[in-house]
Amino acid sequence: MEDVMIARYRGFLAIGLLIAAGVAVAVLLAGCGGSSAGPVSTTFTYDTYTNVMVGWDPSTENSNSIIALANVYDTLTKYNDETKEVEPLLATSWTTSPDALTWTFQLRPNVYFHTGRLMTAKAVKAAIERTIRLNQGAAYIWAAVKSIDTPSQDTVVFHLKYPGPLSIVASAGYGAYIFDTKASGSESLAKWFEAAHDAGTGPYTVQTWNSGQETELVLTSFPKYWGGWSGAHYKRIVFRVVKQDTTAAQLVGSGQVDFVQRISPALFASLKTNPQLQTLSVPQLMNLIAPLNCKSGPLADLTMRKAIAYAIDYKGIIAASKGAASPSIGIVPPGLWGHSDTLPTYSYDTAKAAQLLNSVGYGPGKKAMNLTLTYTQGDSSEQLVTSIMKSNLAKLNVNLRVQPLAWPTQWAKAQSTNLSDRQDIFMMYWWPDYADPYAWLGGLLATEKTPYWNLSYFSNPQFDEMAGRLEGVAATDMPQAIDLCRQMQIIAYEQMPVMVLYNVTGQFVALKSVGNLHVNPAYAYVVFVYDLEPLPS
Amino acid sequence: MTDTAILAPSRLAVVRGHLRGNPLLLVGGIVATAIVLIALLAPLLAPYPADAVSATHPLSVLLPPSMSHWFGTDQVGRDILSRVLYGARVSPLIAVFVILISCVIGIPLGLAAGYFGGVIDEVIMRVTDVFLAFPALLLALAFAAVLPPSLTSTTLAIAIAWWPWYTRLLRGQAASVAGRPYVESCRTLGISRRRIIFRHILPNAITPLIVEISLDVGGVILTAAALSFLGLGAQDPTPDWGLMVSEGQSYFMTQWWLVTFPGLAILITALAFNLLGDGLRDVLDPKRVVKLL
Amino acid sequence: MTRYIARRIVLAIGVVAGVVILTFLIARIVPGDPAVSWAGPHAPPSQFAQVRRELGLDRPMVVQIIKYFEGVLTGHWGTSIHTHQPVLSDLSNAAPASLELVLAALLFAIAVGVPMGLISAARPGRLVDHTIRVGSIFGVSMPIFWMALIFQLLFFQKLHLLPVTGRYDPNVAFAHPLHAYTGMAVIDSLLSGNWPMLESSLSHLVLPALVVAAYPAGVIARMVRATVLDTLGETHVQMVRALGFSERTVFARFAMKLAWSPVAAVIALVFAYSLVNTFLVESIFNWPGLGSYAAASIGSLDTPAITGVTLLIALVYVFANLIVDVVQAILDPRIRLG
Repeated sequence: MEDVMIARYRGFLAIGLLIAAGVAVAVLLAGCGGSSAGPVSTTFTYDTYTNVMVGWDPSTENSNSIIALANVYDTLTKYNDETKEVEPLLATSWTTSPDALTWTFQLRPNVYFHTGRLMTAKAVKAAIERTIRLNQGAAYIWAAVKSIDTPSQDTVVFHLKYPGPLSIVASAGYGAYIFDTKASGSESLAKWFEAAHDAGTGPYTVQTWNSGQETELVLTSFPKYWGGWSGAHYKRIVFRVVKQDTTAAQLVGSGQVDFVQRISPALFASLKTNPQLQTLSVPQLMNLIAPLNCKSGPLADLTMRKAIAYAIDYKGIIAASKGAASPSIGIVPPGLWGHSDTLPTYSYDTAKAAQLLNSVGYGPGKKAMNLTLTYTQGDSSEQLVTSIMKSNLAKLNVNLRVQPLAWPTQWAKAQSTNLSDRQDIFMMYWWPDYADPYAWLGGLLATEKTPYWNLSYFSNPQFDEMAGRLEGVAATDMPQAIDLCRQMQIIAYEQMPVMVLYNVTGQFVALKSVGNLHVNPAYAYVVFVYDLEPLPS
Repeated sequence: MTDTAILAPSRLAVVRGHLRGNPLLLVGGIVATAIVLIALLAPLLAPYPADAVSATHPLSVLLPPSMSHWFGTDQVGRDILSRVLYGARVSPLIAVFVILISCVIGIPLGLAAGYFGGVIDEVIMRVTDVFLAFPALLLALAFAAVLPPSLTSTTLAIAIAWWPWYTRLLRGQAASVAGRPYVESCRTLGISRRRIIFRHILPNAITPLIVEISLDVGGVILTAAALSFLGLGAQDPTPDWGLMVSEGQSYFMTQWWLVTFPGLAILITALAFNLLGDGLRDVLDPKRVVKLL
Repeated sequence: MTRYIARRIVLAIGVVAGVVILTFLIARIVPGDPAVSWAGPHAPPSQFAQVRRELGLDRPMVVQIIKYFEGVLTGHWGTSIHTHQPVLSDLSNAAPASLELVLAALLFAIAVGVPMGLISAARPGRLVDHTIRVGSIFGVSMPIFWMALIFQLLFFQKLHLLPVTGRYDPNVAFAHPLHAYTGMAVIDSLLSGNWPMLESSLSHLVLPALVVAAYPAGVIARMVRATVLDTLGETHVQMVRALGFSERTVFARFAMKLAWSPVAAVIALVFAYSLVNTFLVESIFNWPGLGSYAAASIGSLDTPAITGVTLLIALVYVFANLIVDVVQAILDPRIRLG
């Protein structure tokens, strides 16, 4: 029996061994193959944790797509976070009238769109007017503009309704791109953009887009870029979507990607010791906020909101975040004018929270309260924060139901016309469209008829009035603007529409071969690849 | 009428003999019992019982295994050992409820189909076939995905995928007994249907039912863990093993203990119950072909 | 023979109809307005009215089911909320990747499971049998998502042996573009002689396939063992023994041949089961198959997509079972006649 059996299953064993051998060969080949990058790579691979191209339209795009679009489009000016000044980009110089109602920009000559057309003052005017006309995304940044003139081929004059810091506005990361409005000919421009086309002046242009694939987007260098290609530059940008940050860590650790957009603090700490990597800890103009539903549900009651604000262990959250978070004071983060370290804040005070809850019939020993919180699925930092919050609130007989959702779903739910469908607490990161506190004080808290970004649904006429004045005052009288900012933050403290959990410290990991790497907090998560210098690896 | 097959004393001796000759059954049985004991005694065994409920300790996060925390702490500072021990309550509880619901739905349907035959049989079996046309995890996933995620929805979702097996089993049992001549003579003598079912069919069905249940526990536990891993089951802070693996994913490369211990717990539990089930099948119902998910 | 096949086909069609109805019901039990869950939270209220009309939500249930059937048969499976593409086209993009993974896993599983089962059956009760039995129960009890993570840690992080994400190296794909014949990277690179891509896609396939293979390997080993042992005890085999043939002949000529039939039956089952199992590992390995699509759909509350995936796999399962039943009937005359 044994001989026959051996003979019989020898066949199968042989097949099995063959397959195993094949596997071993593949493994060895893979090991020997190694990375295909040469001594100096010309491809920059950006590892992102979520889909890159949410929207293609440079007028309306308001989210993650800017990591790509910022390399494809230029703005008139650019914010330098080190000097805190605005620098020339498509505009070489600008002047403003003393009352800040007229701004004159001198354009750079010989700048071509990727469509081949020359950028003229008329083209700039057409692009900005289209953005204003569509009135979506960050179009509000141009709200002060009354009209635009083009007295010569390279001069653009803005006439404002009220004074505003237009040079900073023009440097915005959203809604300030200059593009060729004639790119689609007689077809709809919006549709043309959505079909994965670009009409920018930037150093890179779209090569391929594979929506939903891991290698989602490839940009290639635009030969006629006005900045030229002398010197060492990356010629190609690949955007790779890797949802798990452990995978991202493995990829950058093995040299397969050049830069990782987001990574957990624990992984960041572990990669610091890797000799082939560089790590950057950069305080961002960004905080993690939790808008509380001021319009419907239990938190419409101010006492409840205050109680929740006292209930959260801010210090604990920051400790658990291991370097990715720093304490916040007020709503405007440090690095922007209007930030103040002397503003009143809520601290972790369970007793006070309990007292406030009791005064309205809830809290320990009284009625239980149920709240729902939504956060962005896949974000381990937000998950950690919500865990701690849930445990903090459980002590106070408040049951926090935490719901992770994909970002588009989370956002859409907050905008739901059915009030009972909305969450009680939203959670998101907040950063400015341009380096200015208005993004928080106006963008986040001004009354919105239909919710867009004001996801606390806060509506306070006094606050609205002050927000309306803010930009004008900032353009003419900075000390008064700073004071106005302070007053508005005090109102926010008293009305508690939005909890600020911490200020974000960006933790970025990149290969050492990426030279000249600088992450500008005014352009969240953007790497201006043209400014990098590929080094031998 | 006492034709019911009773577990005669000699059968127990046979079982004992089998146990000695079947070490896998012994091992499975011991470990499974240990797990049940752990589940019952978790509050006494866990060093930090509050961590399994709602406590967090943000100042002692991600600590490696040490004397004070044998399994280390997780990303919000909870003791992993305590949570793993309490997790022994969650998974088997789901299994218990799933099997209970499956029996409650499946047994009556199967009995009816097998005993009455004819149109009733056809209808019930066709419906059962439709449910069985979906792989269990898929059906459970589909239901769990459209319901708000919670322990209850997971349990319901898995039960929806599981009951057809019991229907099929009971139908087979009922049909084989119902066809026998002595049952027909019972009917002629006027004995009620109910008595026939309870005194003749069910006792025969108990043994294969026990085998089926014991084979199923492991599968249900794995399915529940899979659903929790996908975020469709128990939510934080429930100490569900699948959820713990899912939450620990981001930290896994640098803090391996977050994922390793809960995962091991799933593996050991499924293994124990599968060994037990396998062994019981060998002993009680050796003719039965291997049951697959 | 033909009558048996015809009967099986008719039964299968019935089951398919039931499957479609059940899937329809699943999609309808979503709490809240079905039009909202079908259109997605981002849709303007005007779109709800259109969706309501399309789904016939104002009509009686029977009409709704008929409309749903129509949709399924004509290829209109709804539009995915998170990709804004027709669900069917999303599925056809994602399916080849999952298929490739499952096929590779099954290949491993058969290569390991069948010999193990045979060895186990040849020496029942001995140490080797017990070891293999425990091993196969191990495979069946393994939480596959955990195994995937452990493998990643071991093979990528610690040993630096195998790649950990995606189907192939994007740099290789750029340098040697792959023509998509079937959508399965390994087959496509073989067909077009694209050796760098073949190497890249093979090395990326190994780890996920090994992980997915654990369960089917365990099942196959157990199945082979049980069936061979069973067959060895059957009457006609006894008769052959009684006629004086040696044990070795008995094993060689009877047991093995008849053992293939149940293995074939198991293949369909484990194929479907493994297909669903890949859901758990695809996100870990960044494998862009049905599982990743399902995971993304779940996070986006994308009801049409979830329904589509469920329906697709159930249909595949029914179809696979049908094929297996027919093949079994060809191989094993007892089934045809019995």
